[in-house]
Amino acid sequence: MTTTIQFPISRIEGHAKVVVDIDEGKVRNARFLAQEYRGFEQFLQGMPADQMPVIVPRVCGVCSTSHHIAAVEALEHAYGITPPPVAEEIRHLMMVGQLVQNQATSLFFFTLPDKLQATSIFGADEKIGHDMLGSISKMAMAVRKIGTELISVAGGQFIHPVKAVVGGVVSGIDPTAAKAMRAKIKEALPLACSLFDEYWQLTRKMERSVGKWEDNDPFYYMVAVDKNDPTRPVDHVTMQKSDGSETITFRPRQYKEFLQFHRVQDSYSSKTSFNDLPIRANSLARMNLAESTGTPIADGYLERFRVEFGSPAHQILLFDLCRGIELINGLERADRILAKNLYDGEMNVPVVPRDGCGFGLVEAPRGPLIHHYQIENGLIVRAEFVIPTVHNNFSIERALTSMAKRYVHEDRIDMGLDRAMGWVVRAFDPCIACATH
Amino acid sequence: MRFAVLQLTGCAGCEVSLLNAGEELDLAKLAYMPLVVTAHDVPGVDVLLVTGGIRTDEDLLKLRESASRVKKIIAVGTCAISGGVAGLGDRHDIRELFLANTHQGRVPRMLPKCRPIDTEVKVDNYLPGCPPVPSLFVQLLNEPESLKSTSIVCKECGRRKPKDVRPTTLAHEIHKDADPELCLVKQGQLCVGTSTRNGCGAICPRAGFPCVGCRGPSNNLIEKDANAWFSSLIKVFAHMTDIDSQEISEALKSPHLALFLFQFSDYSDTELESRPKEKVL
Repeated sequence: MTTTIQFPISRIEGHAKVVVDIDEGKVRNARFLAQEYRGFEQFLQGMPADQMPVIVPRVCGVCSTSHHIAAVEALEHAYGITPPPVAEEIRHLMMVGQLVQNQATSLFFFTLPDKLQATSIFGADEKIGHDMLGSISKMAMAVRKIGTELISVAGGQFIHPVKAVVGGVVSGIDPTAAKAMRAKIKEALPLACSLFDEYWQLTRKMERSVGKWEDNDPFYYMVAVDKNDPTRPVDHVTMQKSDGSETITFRPRQYKEFLQFHRVQDSYSSKTSFNDLPIRANSLARMNLAESTGTPIADGYLERFRVEFGSPAHQILLFDLCRGIELINGLERADRILAKNLYDGEMNVPVVPRDGCGFGLVEAPRGPLIHHYQIENGLIVRAEFVIPTVHNNFSIERALTSMAKRYVHEDRIDMGLDRAMGWVVRAFDPCIACATH
Repeated sequence: MRFAVLQLTGCAGCEVSLLNAGEELDLAKLAYMPLVVTAHDVPGVDVLLVTGGIRTDEDLLKLRESASRVKKIIAVGTCAISGGVAGLGDRHDIRELFLANTHQGRVPRMLPKCRPIDTEVKVDNYLPGCPPVPSLFVQLLNEPESLKSTSIVCKECGRRKPKDVRPTTLAHEIHKDADPELCLVKQGQLCVGTSTRNGCGAICPRAGFPCVGCRGPSNNLIEKDANAWFSSLIKVFAHMTDIDSQEISEALKSPHLALFLFQFSDYSDTELESRPKEKVL
C-alpha cells in the first residue's frame, strides 16, 4: 500500500510543498513541488525588448536585482554593446548588495528559527536574548538592511531596481553617498560577525543532535563566478564533479547542449540534470570551488570552515554556513567597491537596438541565472529563464529522500519528519517565484 | 494590533518591503506570513494585508477562508489591486498558450486571468505601489490615520522645471540622466510622476529613472477611468514640452506603463466600480 504524506513549506520564497511517498513502510521517494505559476515566458511574447529590465524584476521580489541585470546583459549581448567599466562596477555592487540581503534573510529569517526551535525570528528573541546584545531579530534586520541599502545606492531602489540600463547605468554613485554607505558597513560588519559566530555554534549544536545530512552519491557543483572573488560574475558556467574528477565549462548560449531539462508531474517547476546526475548550485558550490574569497575576514571564516569540515565539504547542512561566509565577504567586498571612483566619467555608451538573440548570465544568490531573448522588430518573440533553483531540484529531492528514510520505519513514522523536511529544503534556499516564473 | 499577511500569487516584493520596515514595527504581532513565520493558517487578526493576485483556485479558497476571520482587509501592491504583471498576458492568444502549459497533474488550477482581490472579498483599504516602500508600511501599521496621499511624485522629487527648457522630442537614449538637477520630463523622458500619487519618496526619478506610475493615479484622477489619466498626462507634456502629442500618446501605450496606469481603472469583465479615493492610501 502506498501512503502519501504532504507538508507545506514555509520560510522559503514562494509556494511549495514536500510530498513523501511511502510503500509498505519504506520511503519510495520524497518530492519537492512548486505550487504557483505566472507564465512570464508566455506573456512576455510581443513585449518591447527594451522594457525587459523594468518588467522582469517582477519575476521575484527577493532576486529582482539578478533578473534586472541579466535582462540588461542579454539585451546588450543581442545589440553587441559593451558597457563602460564604471557601469560594470556599479552593477557588481548591486549584485553584492543582493547577496548580502539574501544571505542575511536566509540565515537569520529562514533557518535560524529552526536552530532555536522557534517558528520565526521574532519569536526567537526570548529564547536567545539573554546572551546576546539586545534583540536578535533587530540585529538581524540591521545587518540585512545594509544589503538593501547597497542595492538602493547602486540601483535606485532595492526591490525592483531601475539603474542598470542597456549601455551602462543611469547615473553614478555620489561620493558623499558612497562615504556614508561605507561608514554603515564598518558599523555592521562586527554585528554580522557576532551573529554569524552565534549561528556557527548553533549549527554545530544541531549537527550533534541530527547529523550533517550527508549525501555522498555523486553530483555536480555549478558556479559562474571568479575563483578568487566569488562575488564577481564570469562569462561562463563551470560544472565540477563532486569528487573533483571532472571540470567542464560552457557559455550561456550553449546551455541546452549541456543541461537536461525534465518536466515534473504535480509541479509548476521543472528540474535540470547534468550528465544524468543532480546539480548543486548556491553557496556551498561557490565556497567549495573558490580558492579564496578575496577579503580577509571572510577568508578567515573559509579557512576555519575547511579545517572543521574538510575541502570540498558536501554535507547539506553546510550550505548555511557558506551563506554566512558570503555575507561577510559581501560586506567587505562592497566596502572595496565603494572605495573606487564611481562618479566620474561616462556611465553609459550609445545604444543602437537591433534584432537577434541575446544571452545574459549572472550569478544570483542561488546560482547561475541565464536570460535568453529572441527579438524581432524590437519585440520579444521568445524569452527563456534558466533558473538556479531548477538546477537544485534533483539535489533537494535526493536529500529529502535520504532524510525521510531516517524518520520512516516499517512500524512507525517518527515525530519531527515535517520539521526535518523543512530543514533540508531551507538549506538549499529555493526560490519558487523564480523557479516557476 | 495583531496582523497577518496572506501571500497569493505574486513575487514576494511587498513582503520584502514590509520586512525592511521591521526595525520600526512590532513584528512579534505578525501572526502569519509564510515567508518568515511558520504557522498553519491565517488566524483571527485585526488587520489582514493581502499581497498577490487571485491566480489559482487555491488562492481563491485561501482568500475566502481568511476573509471570514479578520476585521479589516488591505489590498497591498499592484497584484492584489489589479492582478499585476500577469495581466500582460491577458490577450487571447497568450491566454491559450498559458493554459496549455498548466496541466501538470495535481497542482493548483489556474483561473482564466489573474484577478484583483476585491472581485471576491470586501476590501477596506488599498495600498498601491510595486511594491509600496517600507515607510508606507510603517505608517499603515503604526499610524494609519496619517496615511493620506494628497499630492504627486513631483513634490517629492524636487528636480527643477525651468519654463524656458522645452524639449521637442522624446529622448532617444531613453534612460540617460544628463543633468541630475533637471526634471526628467524637461530632459524629454517619459516620466509620469506628474500625475502619480506620492508617498514613495520619488525614489526612481531621483535616481534618474522615469516614474512608471506604480503608485497609481493621484487623487483627482483615481475615480476616473484610465483614459482620463492618459489625457491628463498628454496635457502635462503639452504644457511642459514641445513634444508632439501623438508621440506622447503612442509612447504611453507601452506595456510597462500600462501595467500600472490601468491598475485602478474599471474591469471590462467584472461588475467592479471605481475604488473610492478615501480608501486608497
